[in-house]
Amino acid sequence: MKFRIATSALLATALALSAAACGGGGGTAAQPSGDGKSFEFWSFTGINQKESVDKYQKQNPGVQVKLTEVGGSTETAQALTTALAGGKVPDLVLIQGDDLPKFVQQPQNFHDLRQFGADKIKGDYLDWVISQSTTKGGEIIGIPTDVGGMAVAYRTDLFKEAGLPTDREEVGKLWPTWDAFIETGKKYTAATGKAFVDNAATSVFYQAVNQGPMKYYDPSGNVVYSTSPQVKTAFDLAIKTVQAGITAKQSSFSDGWSAGMGKGQYAVISAPAWLLSQMERNAPDTKGKWDIAAIPGGAGNWGGSYLAIPKRAKNPKAAWDYITKTQSPQAQLQHFVDTGSTMPTTPSVYKDPKLTGLKNEFFSGAPTGVIYTNSLTGLKPFLVGPDSAVIGQEFLNAITNVEQGKGDAAKAWDAALANIKTAIGK
Amino acid sequence: MTTTLSTPRAAGAPPAATTRVRQGIGERLAPYAYIAPFFLIFAVFGLVPLLFTFYVALFDWNPIGEHIFIGLDNFTRLLDDARFWNAAWNTISIWLLSTVPQLLLALGLAHLLNHARLRFAVFFRMSMLVPYITSVAATAIVFAQMFDRDYGLLNWLLGLVGVEPIDFKQSVWGSHLLIAVMVTWRWFGYTTLLYLASLQAIPRSLYEAAAVDGAGGWKQFRHISIPSLRPVIVFTIVTSTIGGLQIFTEPLLISRVAAQTCGAVRQCQTLTLFLYEQGFGQFQFGYGAAIGVALFVLIIAFAALNYVLSTRVRPER
Repeated sequence: MKFRIATSALLATALALSAAACGGGGGTAAQPSGDGKSFEFWSFTGINQKESVDKYQKQNPGVQVKLTEVGGSTETAQALTTALAGGKVPDLVLIQGDDLPKFVQQPQNFHDLRQFGADKIKGDYLDWVISQSTTKGGEIIGIPTDVGGMAVAYRTDLFKEAGLPTDREEVGKLWPTWDAFIETGKKYTAATGKAFVDNAATSVFYQAVNQGPMKYYDPSGNVVYSTSPQVKTAFDLAIKTVQAGITAKQSSFSDGWSAGMGKGQYAVISAPAWLLSQMERNAPDTKGKWDIAAIPGGAGNWGGSYLAIPKRAKNPKAAWDYITKTQSPQAQLQHFVDTGSTMPTTPSVYKDPKLTGLKNEFFSGAPTGVIYTNSLTGLKPFLVGPDSAVIGQEFLNAITNVEQGKGDAAKAWDAALANIKTAIGK
Repeated sequence: MTTTLSTPRAAGAPPAATTRVRQGIGERLAPYAYIAPFFLIFAVFGLVPLLFTFYVALFDWNPIGEHIFIGLDNFTRLLDDARFWNAAWNTISIWLLSTVPQLLLALGLAHLLNHARLRFAVFFRMSMLVPYITSVAATAIVFAQMFDRDYGLLNWLLGLVGVEPIDFKQSVWGSHLLIAVMVTWRWFGYTTLLYLASLQAIPRSLYEAAAVDGAGGWKQFRHISIPSLRPVIVFTIVTSTIGGLQIFTEPLLISRVAAQTCGAVRQCQTLTLFLYEQGFGQFQFGYGAAIGVALFVLIIAFAALNYVLSTRVRPER
């Protein structure tokens, strides 16, 4: 859930940006807007979607966008489900990646975007990203707005106090693997007496489990969470992190986590691109004290969102117009430049000087464009299934329980498997 | 009802036979017509959803997909589901922790407020209601912060006397206690006023007579106040049972992380929260409906128990 909220914020920001950047979009020809020029748009709160929608309206006179910020990404998906089940649906809706599989499984509720020409632009997007919004029958029900990539944000001032290097290249070399990451953490904690990383569940498990070719499902869609070596390895790494005593025990997106970020309660946090703007908002006083280094293991992705058009939408064409204008490669690039937090899903811009030259001042001028692109280039995609979100949450819960000192580390894995079996029945 | 209706008819001048029959029907139907609005609204917003819930509970019901009839499978799954029993025990535990101290506190406070020589009585009585009219969400957020591990007021105070910070929200008892405190805080004033109203109905002469006989404050409370309060005590137990079994907002709001399970290991997930998680988090409407039915049965059972208790209380008066 935390991811969903954060991701939704990111996505919304991305959308807003892309909307703002719509003028620059040139990747695809806009479809004729057909009957209605106005449309209803459901998005997440906290991502300043209104600003982007306002810009879109300014640049496209005559277009009326009725924006509703439903809630966090979870609430938005819930409201969408209720609406699809028999209520008034929006013309356009933002869906966070974790919530997406449930909707992809029921494609009859959405417009197959190929009817508007999505098959002509699908090559603009990363294969493994758009494949998540593509059904087995080939229907495309969502256009990706951003991806997270992976990286580690760290406090240069605290690293210096601990006698660790502060240069992002050297810091990246400290932890080629997660084991090396834990060792670095032990050194930091030994030198300062303070926690190294915010928590083990999100900053270690949720990253490591996303780095490999087979996560909770095998390529043919069978559930393999209990036998996939990638999952077990990631889980054991997280438990090892807990046992090393280097975590601040702050669950991601909790109040204590937000507060601890500004107080230097932890020096390291795994940060996909979408987290950057949130960190800036959470801890404005730490500007210039953070930097970004490569993630242990090198590559991976966490998060991302999609724009979809429900079947019963009244003005699907106007909504599709918005998608093409705000999600073209150039528009996504411009959005990233503006927000610094929404990594484009369109690989054609990954070599663009606007992206490679991008620096983030909050993070000591880290070249975020290059860092996050690198984390995506070596990535091995895996299948995301309808129960991926539930499975992931149960693993996180099991790790958190050990971290908070209530659970038995030796039994945590079996407990997680049992809980998942209860939850999804297989 | 029949007697009161027939009395004026008998007393008045007898109308023509046909009219009388027509009036008779009209008069007999009139009271039902008067109460009909409530029952119609109840049928639409209460009874129909209730029956529909029973119906949905027999299906594997995806709100945006297929509805597959599976008979009682949801219920057999529920009885085997450790999460359900966990939620049931959490609910009962929180209910006990919040109701018992709340009723005792309210009883004591009502007795104090009823004191004949109390100054500013109206002020004290009215201030009792302030927590009751405060939004539940605001209460939940403030209390959750007070009980926070790192930045909570309570742990700061404990720290002053050298106690290590306690992570209330992560432990079973801590989280139950936290929720119970919130519920108690919200409801004790309301309950106090109910008791107070009842106490004021007791004739002063009883207390005076007892005082003359040499009964002290405690004996007066024990032998005059408590017996007179029995019906209202039963009433508050019934209402707090029904409310307590449906505790939802407080556990949902104390933790922003894993809110639908009230923490990493469902340490304070109540039945209604479990229903919400399954129905609206996982979109398993059929299973969610089955949980709703189970909750319904549980509340009926508790209500029946309360009824038995209250009918046994009455003859004693």
